[in-house]
Parts: sequence; C-alpha cells; structure tokens
Amino acid sequence: MLGRYRFVLFRPFQLLPVMFGISVVTFILVRLIPGDPARVLLGARSTPTALAKIRAQYGLDEPMITQYFYFLKNLVHGEMGRSTLYKIDVLKLIATRIEPTLMLVFFAVLLSLVIAVPLAALSARKQGQWPDHFARIAVTAGLGFPQFWLGVMLIILFAVSLNWLPVSGYGKSFEDKALHLVLPCLTIALSLSSVITRSLRAAMISGLNSDIATAARARGVSENTVFWRHVVPNALVPTINLLAVNIGWLIGGTVVVESVFALPGMGQLLVRGIFSRDYMVVQGVAMVFAVATLLINFLADILTVALDPRVKF
Amino acid sequence: MTILSVKGLSVSYQDKVETRSLLEDATFDLGQSEILGLVGESGSGKSLLCRAIIGLLPSTKLSVTSGDVVLEGRSILGLEEKAMMDVRGRRIGMIFQNPTSHLDPVMRIGDQICEGLFRHGSYSKQDARVQAIELLTQVGFPDPARAFRSYAHEFSGGMRQRAMIAIALSCEPEILIADEPTTALDVTVQAQILELLLELRKKRGLSIILITHDLGVVAQTCDRIAVMREGRIVEIEEKRKLLSAPQHSYTKTLIASHPSFDDHLASRALDDDIVVEEPHIKPIFEVDDLVVEFNAGKSWFRSKAAFRALAGVSCQIFPGDTIGIVGESGSGKSTLARAMIGLTPITSGDIAYDGAVLTLKRDQALRKLRREVAMVFQDPFNALNPRMTVEAMLREVLETQGEIARNAIDSRIDELLELVGLDVSFRPRKPKSLSGGQCQRVGIARALAVNPKVIIADECVAALDVTIQAQIISLFKELREKMALTIIFIAHDLAIVRELCESVIVMHHGRIVEAGRTEDVFDNPEQDYTANLLAAIPNIDPDKPIGTRTVARAIQGN
Amino acid sequence: MAQTRPFFPQLKWRALMSSNTTLTLGFCILAFFIAAALLAPLVAPFDPILQDASARLQAPTLLHPFGTDNFGRDVLSRVIWGVRIDLQIALLGVLFPMIIGTILGTVAGFLGGIVDTILMRIIDIVLAFPFLVLMLSIITILGPGLASFYIAMALVGWVSYARLVRAQILVLKTMDFAVAAQSLGYSRLRIMFRHLLPNALTGSIVFAMSDVILVLLNGAAISYLGLGVQPPAAEWGIMVAEGQGFITQAWWITFFPGFAIVCLALGFSLLGDALGDMWEAEV
Repeated sequence: MLGRYRFVLFRPFQLLPVMFGISVVTFILVRLIPGDPARVLLGARSTPTALAKIRAQYGLDEPMITQYFYFLKNLVHGEMGRSTLYKIDVLKLIATRIEPTLMLVFFAVLLSLVIAVPLAALSARKQGQWPDHFARIAVTAGLGFPQFWLGVMLIILFAVSLNWLPVSGYGKSFEDKALHLVLPCLTIALSLSSVITRSLRAAMISGLNSDIATAARARGVSENTVFWRHVVPNALVPTINLLAVNIGWLIGGTVVVESVFALPGMGQLLVRGIFSRDYMVVQGVAMVFAVATLLINFLADILTVALDPRVKF
Repeated sequence: MTILSVKGLSVSYQDKVETRSLLEDATFDLGQSEILGLVGESGSGKSLLCRAIIGLLPSTKLSVTSGDVVLEGRSILGLEEKAMMDVRGRRIGMIFQNPTSHLDPVMRIGDQICEGLFRHGSYSKQDARVQAIELLTQVGFPDPARAFRSYAHEFSGGMRQRAMIAIALSCEPEILIADEPTTALDVTVQAQILELLLELRKKRGLSIILITHDLGVVAQTCDRIAVMREGRIVEIEEKRKLLSAPQHSYTKTLIASHPSFDDHLASRALDDDIVVEEPHIKPIFEVDDLVVEFNAGKSWFRSKAAFRALAGVSCQIFPGDTIGIVGESGSGKSTLARAMIGLTPITSGDIAYDGAVLTLKRDQALRKLRREVAMVFQDPFNALNPRMTVEAMLREVLETQGEIARNAIDSRIDELLELVGLDVSFRPRKPKSLSGGQCQRVGIARALAVNPKVIIADECVAALDVTIQAQIISLFKELREKMALTIIFIAHDLAIVRELCESVIVMHHGRIVEAGRTEDVFDNPEQDYTANLLAAIPNIDPDKPIGTRTVARAIQGN
Repeated sequence: MAQTRPFFPQLKWRALMSSNTTLTLGFCILAFFIAAALLAPLVAPFDPILQDASARLQAPTLLHPFGTDNFGRDVLSRVIWGVRIDLQIALLGVLFPMIIGTILGTVAGFLGGIVDTILMRIIDIVLAFPFLVLMLSIITILGPGLASFYIAMALVGWVSYARLVRAQILVLKTMDFAVAAQSLGYSRLRIMFRHLLPNALTGSIVFAMSDVILVLLNGAAISYLGLGVQPPAAEWGIMVAEGQGFITQAWWITFFPGFAIVCLALGFSLLGDALGDMWEAEV
C-alpha cells in the first residue's frame, strides 16, 4: 500500500522524456561548436591515431542521428569522454569535484533557513511594526546583491581585514574544509534567505489572515498556538516548492561563488572547462547539474506529499 | 432566561481618511436554548455583529465605539485578551460558511477536535480520543473512528460542515454562532445540517445565533428573527409575528422577494402568457442520448477514470418556452447547457439546434448557434472582461456579429442598456465599479446584443442578494414578453424556477430524473428524488418542517 | 454568497497610499541611473578607458572620489559609463524573453492539446538545466560577448514567462468572460489577444520587474566570469573581477561597481513592488 506515494514508482519513467531532452540538448550543444568535432573533442594538439579512434567511438563520420545513438550508447556505459585539460575521464573528474559543491549547497540551504524562518516569523507576526520594516528593507536590498561582489566584500572584511577566515581554496582535513566553506556558504545564504524570507513572510501573513486562523481564534486558541500549529505547517509547503524551483538558480550561484573563492567544485570545473575549451567537461557538468535538478525536484515532490495530505501526483 | 444580551453595540471603521459606521446600535437578547435568526443581505453587518460579540473584528481599523455585550450577567466586551480566550470556544462557539477554508487542511479532523478538548477541558490523550469519536458520532459521521484519522479534503461539503460543528462542540460552548453555515451546500444537505442544529439544541440546550441571507432557512429553524440592513437591526420579533405582520418596509420587501412556494406565488407562473406548446411545433433544441465524459487523469500510468458528467440525456425544447433545468451540484445541469451551445466536447449522442446537427456539421451548426443563442453566467463579476468598459463590450459583440451598420452601433448600445434597465451613463464604466446586479444586467445586455432567439442562463442569480434576484427575474419575464425569447434557465434554486419557468427538467447524477410542466412536476413529483429535493427547500412558512427523514436516507450514499 | 468584492475597499486604497512612497523612491533611483547613462560623457570627470600609470591604485580623494584602479583609471568615471552597459543588459535581457515567452505562453495555454504538450516538454527540459549553466554553455559555443549574452538570454529566459502566462491563461480561459466570448462567436485570435492576453499581461510585467534584477545580476556575473562584456569596457562585473586581485591594497576598485549594482537593483525592486501592489489594488 503506497497510497499517495505511488508516484515514486512511476515518476522516474515520466522523467525519461525530459532526460532524453537533456541528452539531446547537451549533444547538440557540443555538435554546434564550429570546427572538426574530433578536434573539438580531443583538443587542438592531438595525434592522427587518437583522432581516428575518437571518430570511430563517436561515429563522427556518420549522419547526425547515428552520431546521437553512439553518444547515447557511450553515455549508458558511463562514457562521457575525456578531459583534454586534465587528461582523465570526465566522469572520474566530476566525481572528485562533487564533494565541495554538495557541501556548499547543503550548508547554504541550511544556513539560509536558519536566517529566513525566524526573520519571516518575526516579520509576519509584527506586521507593520519596526521588526517587519527592518526585515522588509533587508529582503528588498538582499535580492539585489550580486553574489560575486558579496563574496569579495566578505573576503575583504573577514579574511583580509579581520583575518578570521581563509581567503580562498579548500582544505584537506574536515575542520580546514569547514573553515573554507564558511564564507562561500554565507554568500549564497545571504541572497537565498532574502528569497525565502520574502515568500515565507507572505505565506505566513496570509495564513494569519486566513479562515483557518480565524476559526482557531474563535475556539479560544492562543495566538502563539494559532501561529505554530496552524499557520507554519501551512506555510511550509509553498516554501519547499520555492526552494525546488530555485534550485537551478542556487546551482548557478555555486558556479559563481566557487569561482570567487577558488573552491574546487563542479562550478569551478565548468568555468575552467569553458575557458580551456574542454568541451567534454562542459557537457558532462551540464548534464550532471541537470539530472541533479530533476532529482531535487523529485525529492521536493515527495516532501510535499508528506507535508500536505491533499497533494496527489 | 437570557443568556447573552447585546446592548446598543456600534462598530465603526476608521482610518486617516474617514470614519464610517458599519454597525449601529445593535440590541438583542438571546435566551437559553433559543435559536435567533439574523437575516440580511451581503454587507448588512450581520457577520460583523457576531465577530464583534466574540471580540474578533476582521481588521484593526475596526473598533467597537459604544454598547455592551453581557454574557450571563457579566460584560465581556472590555475583557482582556486572556480572559476573552476562555470565552471564545468555551462559552461562545462559532461555525462558518465555508468549511473548506476554515478547516486546517494539513491536520487530521480528530486532532483538530482534540485541540479544542485539550484547550478547554482536562483530558488524557486516551479520553480525548474517545470523546472526539463520540462527538463525531453525534454530528452524524457513519464511521467516526475513520473520520477521526481523516483530513478535511476527504469529505464532501456537508460532512466538512459536520466536522466543523464537531470541532466547535469540542469546547462545549453554551452559545453557537453559525455564520451562513449552509450557504455553500446543496438544499438536501442544507436541510440535514439544519436538522442537526435543531437536534443539538434539543440534546445540549445550546443557544444558537443563525446568520443567513435566506429568510426560508430562519423561518423554519428559528424562534425569533432579527432583520438587518446597512448595519442596523431594523426589526426583531417572534418569527410568526414577523413573517405574518412585518412592520418595517425592508422586511416586507425581503418577504416579498423570497421565492417561496406559497400557493399564491405558484399561481403567478400560470398568470403569465404561456405559449401553449402544440405537438406539431418543431422543437428548437433536440438532445438525443447525450453523453459527456471528462478524462480525470491524463497519465499513461494511471487508469483513465473518465468522469461521466452526462450519462445519456434526451430532451426537447420548444420555441418560446421557458424551461428550467434544476439539480444539485454535480448533477450535470451546467454541462448540459455548455454542450448545447457547443462549448463542451460531446462523447456520444446528438444535439440539434433548429435543424442544424452539432455533431454532424459542427462548424455550420456552431455559426448558427453563436448567432442565435446567447449565454448569461453565474458570477456577474467573472463574466465580464475586467479590462473593458461596458461600451467596449457591447460594441465588440455588435461589430463581430456584423449585422448592424457601423454608424447605428452607438444608438443600438443605448437601446440595449435601456432594455436591461441601465442608464446611458454606464457606458464608460468598467465592471469593478459596478454592483453585482448591475454587472448581471450588463451580462444580459451583452447576450441580447446578438439578437438571440434563445438565452441560456446558467445559475445567473445564484450569486445575488434576494432583492436583486427578484429584480433580475422580473427583467427576464419582461424580456420574454417583449422579445419572444426561448429561455433555458439553469438553477439549483427550485423556488426561482417555479416562479419563472413553464416547464422543468430535474437532473441527478448526469441523468434526467423527471421532466414536464412546472406545476405538474412540483405539485405531483413522480420520482422520490424530486420529492426529496422539493421537501428540502427552505420555506418561508414557519409551520412546514425542514426536510424529511427520507431526504436524509436518499443522500446517505453521497 | 459568491460575491468577489473585497469587503473593505478602503483598505486597498490605504495600501496604494503607502506604496506611493515606494513608487516615488524607486522611480527616483531609476531616473538617476538613466540620467547618468544618458549624460555619461558630460558628468564623468575622466575618460573611463584611458590609462594613467602615474595614478595607479589611488585611494578615494576629491579628485578621484571612488579612487583609481591598477591602470590608473578613475573608478567613478568607469562606474558612470558602466550604467550604459549594465542598464542595457538589464532592459534588453528582459525584453526579448518577455515578448517571446508571453506570446508562446498565451498560444499554448489557449490552444492546449499537442501544441501545449510540446511547449511544456521543451520548458521542462530547459528548466532542468540550471539557468546560469545553460547560459554559459550557449555562450561557450557562440563565443564570449554581449551579443552572445542576448541570444543566450532569449533562448533560455522565455521559459519563465511562457510558464507563468500559460498558467494564467489556463485559469482565465475557464472564467466566464472567456466562455462568454467563445459563446458569442468571437474568433480565436480575438479571444487570445484581446480578452485573455491583456488580463495575463500585468502578471507578466510584474514578474519582469523582479526578473530584471536577476538578469542584471546574471549579466554582471557572466561578465565577472569573463564570458560577457570584454575588457577594457567599463562594466561593473568586469570591474569587480579586475579589482579582485588587489583586494589587499585597494578595496575601492571592487566596492563601488558592486554597490552601483545594488543601488540599481534596489530601484527596480522598489518600483516593481509598488507596481505589483497597484496591480493588486486594481484587480
């Protein structure tokens, strides 16, 4: 008896067309690059033997459609090509870079929730009073902070002037890594929390004005209980959906922030790949990011079903 | 014995710009186990009055300016919040119009009842559960243990209202304020809920303030009736006295507007000129074994459970006839209307309009339909494009139809407005600056602009106050006489249909249960369903009992 | 009663009054930036590109209120000239996607069926890629530069508008006034563009007011990464990138261009909020 969770079984199949679309898009992106595709894939300085080998592996002398099937076949075998810059398989390369990105996203989301939830609650319950005005100004300004600039400003303040934290890079030991992650996480969390606070505040205010709240008050339920037992649970679902919708934006943020802080994650790999014309790396990273986005949206749907008994997929 | 008395209560709205009085000098007493009906149209201040009593005004810009509320000899108006919280729920409970929005969707019904039990009584977890299930039984849940674990969306509207009553009862109030508790419900369900309230009064000695816009509802349930208008109680009296000898002119209007089933009203329909249908007249609409299905799910992975909105409907409508299609929500009456005008895809069966078969030569039939059949809609605000002026809307119809010379359009617009009783000054106005009744008149003018032979009116008075309702109905009667229109009038309100229509079709679950001349069907219904439907209609006559036991049984399956 | 009127229309009026301050403030900030862009040659004290080896890395003084950068260029003048590029990025970067997305969304939402299904699948696929990642990939192919940025923006940005407008059209087309238009025999084109689109457009414009900030930030970020506007142009993102090497000695090179972005974004944000409130008050 899976009940409302039955979609967990068939959703992966429903996602197949989108996965297919993602593979087509990434395939086309690389094929659109002007020049001999074999040289594009291997880099400018490559031997004739290597060129012949890659032509055979990807069917580069055959029509586009056939080439696409070669591409798919390679993909299914976990073959995403080789990095011309790092001289190793793209998949292996990506595997070494996942950890910093994953940590960055996870702790940034956690941190922004820690900032946003109390701020939104305070703002919604003191609507029209000074805590609310403060929160609204902070949010309005926060939405317009460029992350690359915010990152640099945080470096100047905390790393250069105060010398509390490292300027950039990533550490070896756990504590070292954690120290290196503080500023990048803070950079993302400051902008993300503006987005979350804004929507959470609106959801909470409409919850406080809702019929549900009125009915609870008419039963003599205290304002505190109304807020935490009726308003907050109902405001959570839209917030989770907002996070899921913004996951693409969040990943874009990690690309920028990893570049600012020279954090060796997938975002930095992507930007380096673009500059060194390492197309297989660009293709691979784009694909992994796309699949991650799908996965996170899937998780958000499961969470939504868990939190809201009305939702059915 | 008086349990609650409201003395000269006034509420006003105040901001930097203005001060407005919304409630003036409201005075009434509520006796032990008494049911007091509070009747008025929208905006009359009846809900505000009740909110003021429990100290929950809907905005901080509202304040009580004078008066007092005395609960069992103790004034509760100036009580501080903490003390007031013990009055709310525990002494005075409240239920609302729309149970769907007032129940917490993400909390189990049982937990919501327990919340009240814990708040106002001392229960162990186990006792609370037992008590909650007992309450659910009392309000009529067939499987209370299951209802306890269910969420609000798993129930129908009527059951949700029962759940809300159970939640209110969990605090064991002495007074229950019911704010339009049955407005969103079908008549048969309405009758059940009203019966439940009467039963609770008897069992628990509950005093009830019943707020409603429907004089019929209070006539049959209440002991006394208070009539409100523009923030004042214009009349308060024992119900029989009030109904038989109303003092205030507004009360008289309200009683006269009520589309009730009095005998003298029933004969009114007969007085109108009726085009007597003769067998050799060709029907203008012919519907034959019509089936309309909606696909519930479009997923490959889920079984395609098609919902049958219409399951084989056949009927004939004759020119010049005014025919009512009645039924409860979900009966398929609106679907039938929309299918007839070609707005809903047909699954199988035939529709012919004046010889043009919609299923055969669709484009040709549609063109004819669009020229000769016009529609009037339920929600008057919704039915008009909010960005267009009245003039632009009418002009657009006339230009698209192309039957009137461009230079004659202007005078035709004036003519149309006059026809529906609107001033020429309405031309540049947009829907948001119009009242509901005015919007509906514009909607009718737009329908008439086509110069239609047939008008299909889909619940077109359901959203309007009774006095406005009566005006629109008489407008329809007037137009019918002037223009020899065929009117297809879809409504859930049987009383209105009886007043306006010559023949009637009763629908239930996508089928026609009964059809015939209005007086035949309504006076001698052949089907149980029709009889139940008729019995459930709130009547302005206080001596008729609400609903019947058979009604309750017939709806059990719902 | 199914009356859709607000019970207290005055409350809306109050909201409008208070949003007027926001409106004025937002409008003033934007007017200030637009004036700076138009009058850049007149108001900028120095040439934004001309290098001066004798004036490298000077802290803010009266002569150089925002200091100078590592090439001795006046940061203030570069920030003023930067308004031209960044304002253009924000406005054009929103305009193309908005037009494309609104039209496609209207058509798909109204027609439904196969057209809608195909469009929605395309939207799903585009949305599966993180916005910036897809932008960067497209720019990789087209080569860095402002033109590539606009093309990539038009290719990627329309989906949000299409999705938003489509959702609104789906609601609007079931509303009685749309059904009425259909029952009166109006043509599909008329219903789509005369009745439905104007009602969905406000939502699209309000969204554009918040989107313009994201486009500004993304455009600057892409330039910061070195894939948008190319040096030596005076663009705020590039200026931050160029200054980042000197954060230990000269904070002003990075601070002022970023601050300009924050101010411009604030202007858009205030104006957007005020317009959103007014729109809500109107409907």
